Amino acid sequence: MGKKKRNHPDVEDVLSRPWCYYCERDFDDLKILISHQKAKHFKCDRCNRRLNTAGGLSVHLNQVHKETLNAVDNALPNRQGLDVEIFGMEGIPEDVVNSHKQRVLQQYYEAQADRQAQTGNPAPGANAPKKPKFESPSDLKRRLAEHKAKKAAEAAGSSGDVTPLQGAQSPAAATQSPVPFHPPFPSHQVPHIPPQTSPPPYGQFPPYGQQAFPPSWVPGMPQVPPMPGGYSPGQYPSISPPFQGHPQVLRQNLPNAPGLPQRPAFGAPQVNSFQFQQMHQGHAQPSSPGPNQTQGVNGHNAAAFSASVDELIASTKQEMDKSKPSATEKSKKDFRLVYSDNEVSPEEKMATLPRYAFVPNNKPETVLGDVEGSVTGPVVGPDDVMDKSG
Amino acid sequence: MSNQCELPDAPSDAISAVRFSPSSTKLLVSSWDKHVYLYDVSKEAGDSPRLIQKFEHRAPVLDVCWGKDDSEAYSGGLDWDVRRIDLKSSEQTVLSSHSSAAKSLAFSASHNILVSASWDCTLHIHHIGTTTTPATIPLPHKPFSLSLSPTRLVVAMASRQLHIYDLPALSALSAQASQAPPNTLELEPWQRRESSLKFMTRAVACMPNDEGYASSSIEGRVAVEWFDPSVESQARKYAFKCHRQTVDGVDVVYPVNALSYHPVYGTFASGGGDGVVALWDGVAKRRIKQYQKYSASVVALAWNGDGTRLAVGVSPGFEDGKEVEEGVIKIYIREVAEGEAKGKGGK
Repeated sequence: MGKKKRNHPDVEDVLSRPWCYYCERDFDDLKILISHQKAKHFKCDRCNRRLNTAGGLSVHLNQVHKETLNAVDNALPNRQGLDVEIFGMEGIPEDVVNSHKQRVLQQYYEAQADRQAQTGNPAPGANAPKKPKFESPSDLKRRLAEHKAKKAAEAAGSSGDVTPLQGAQSPAAATQSPVPFHPPFPSHQVPHIPPQTSPPPYGQFPPYGQQAFPPSWVPGMPQVPPMPGGYSPGQYPSISPPFQGHPQVLRQNLPNAPGLPQRPAFGAPQVNSFQFQQMHQGHAQPSSPGPNQTQGVNGHNAAAFSASVDELIASTKQEMDKSKPSATEKSKKDFRLVYSDNEVSPEEKMATLPRYAFVPNNKPETVLGDVEGSVTGPVVGPDDVMDKSG
Repeated sequence: MSNQCELPDAPSDAISAVRFSPSSTKLLVSSWDKHVYLYDVSKEAGDSPRLIQKFEHRAPVLDVCWGKDDSEAYSGGLDWDVRRIDLKSSEQTVLSSHSSAAKSLAFSASHNILVSASWDCTLHIHHIGTTTTPATIPLPHKPFSLSLSPTRLVVAMASRQLHIYDLPALSALSAQASQAPPNTLELEPWQRRESSLKFMTRAVACMPNDEGYASSSIEGRVAVEWFDPSVESQARKYAFKCHRQTVDGVDVVYPVNALSYHPVYGTFASGGGDGVVALWDGVAKRRIKQYQKYSASVVALAWNGDGTRLAVGVSPGFEDGKEVEEGVIKIYIREVAEGEAKGKGGK
């Protein structure tokens, strides 16, 4: 049972997929990536010639069409520059490689968790030995006691019972609303909860309903932030929250692509609780370097387990509901209108300027002659004022 | 530059409208410098785009449009007048005077009527070729933009209001109105709508297939809606964000000043205060193309009759705190390659 490997790729496969620096799309092999780049990013829009690099296109435009190339077409906003010479996978700056890896890994583990949520199967390629189906009575009692204590604390209405570990996790995790968890669980899981489902980074994303867009399309795809300094490659899966909105947006808007890991549904609480389940079952998530992991590996008692999962689901849901308003507030924050007068149009404002003033029934010469005197009278009539009330 | 050329003798002040002749390579441009400009953008047979003539007005011109053919144009502006310009003789005739600036004009060749919208909160319906007093249709709010489709007139107003008039009915009723000036005609619009956008409407443009319209707001957003009032058609309406830039983590939102539907493919172009022109496929909900940024705000856009050229009016935008911004005034004619503006879904 569960021996047969499905067509779910494992981490190495996912990480080794070639991907495009300009639009973060990934491909089955390098040849396809290169032809993608030629077609999408290095194509001359005048003669449809496909060049090999952005530099090549720049020279082509310059010599053949006497134009200058300022930005790479169809690229993410922060990747439009011509300063990096990209060919296939060559030339991608290291920090970008790292943040891409991190993103891919996050998606991968979310996909995996989701798959497990759906099938109840252990992770493919998880090399942890199958956990014992029993837990020693003493362990069980201890865990039950811990759980009860936790519940009591919750009932007392204290949400401040964040474990020190969680607080110490990462600066970003601290910004999230604390979620009451089982103390034994590594707080690395915390970032999976999506109170930040609408962070400003993708405020630009056109709300085109649920329409599917190829990633290359997305004009406002948020930039991938540089990795927080402290993360070493081994720590990738301890997801950094600022990063989180991005893949979720993609998932929400993209159909499942063949050859890619299944995209998890947009239901983080379940994912979360099942990750707990997974931990109960003792699959060493290759990703979770948490020191507390061993406790989860101890195994579980089926009844106690299902009860605790139910509670976790409930509490996580509550937490979700609580955190929703704050998420919307957040998305409104960083936003500046270039023209913000919602009542008076730019043309009306221009019309009030002295140099555009006009006196009806006068000849043009006299209009030119008297500028200041006729500023507001005839041009901004009484109706302008009246209308503002509407 | 082969795919885009800049017109010589550009206006000396902000551009208010660019309009391509439906049948030729002529282009009308109206400007705040009190002139209407007539260009020929033909590039065939060694011709280079040139200014044919400019027509002086008493005040800044806010809009211009073509009449029945290449020999006549209509203009309206801050002198409150709606004028007919004979492009051959340069003769100007005042068709009517509003009691505030005439902001927008639209000419329907099939009904031979000229609609002018003024900040005095009225529409004037001029029946061209007759001597009757134009009918005056009161509006609840100040109009900002007009657009005609074969059978509809869409008027976008302040307070996010939109009126949609049935053009044949409007034409017939206004023809019958024959009172003394101002010849007011209380005409109930075919539909009253509130904009789907939360901010001031900037521009409106009807689909050439007569099915709906797109509108844009000062808050970097475009809405696409359908005329058909049925629930299914109304459920199709949507809006999307565009013409925004993230600067230091702050989303800088530009007004979308201009919209223009491609006459053949039914896709549309939007021009924003960020100086960007983008082509959109409103049906497939996709962006087809985004052109390189212009040096200043894109204030006006127009397709030519067969959709092979796009006129782009670039002039300083009107931003908070800057009032009138310095910048260059330019008109570009972009040659649009075969299929470049075609929707992806249409392939």
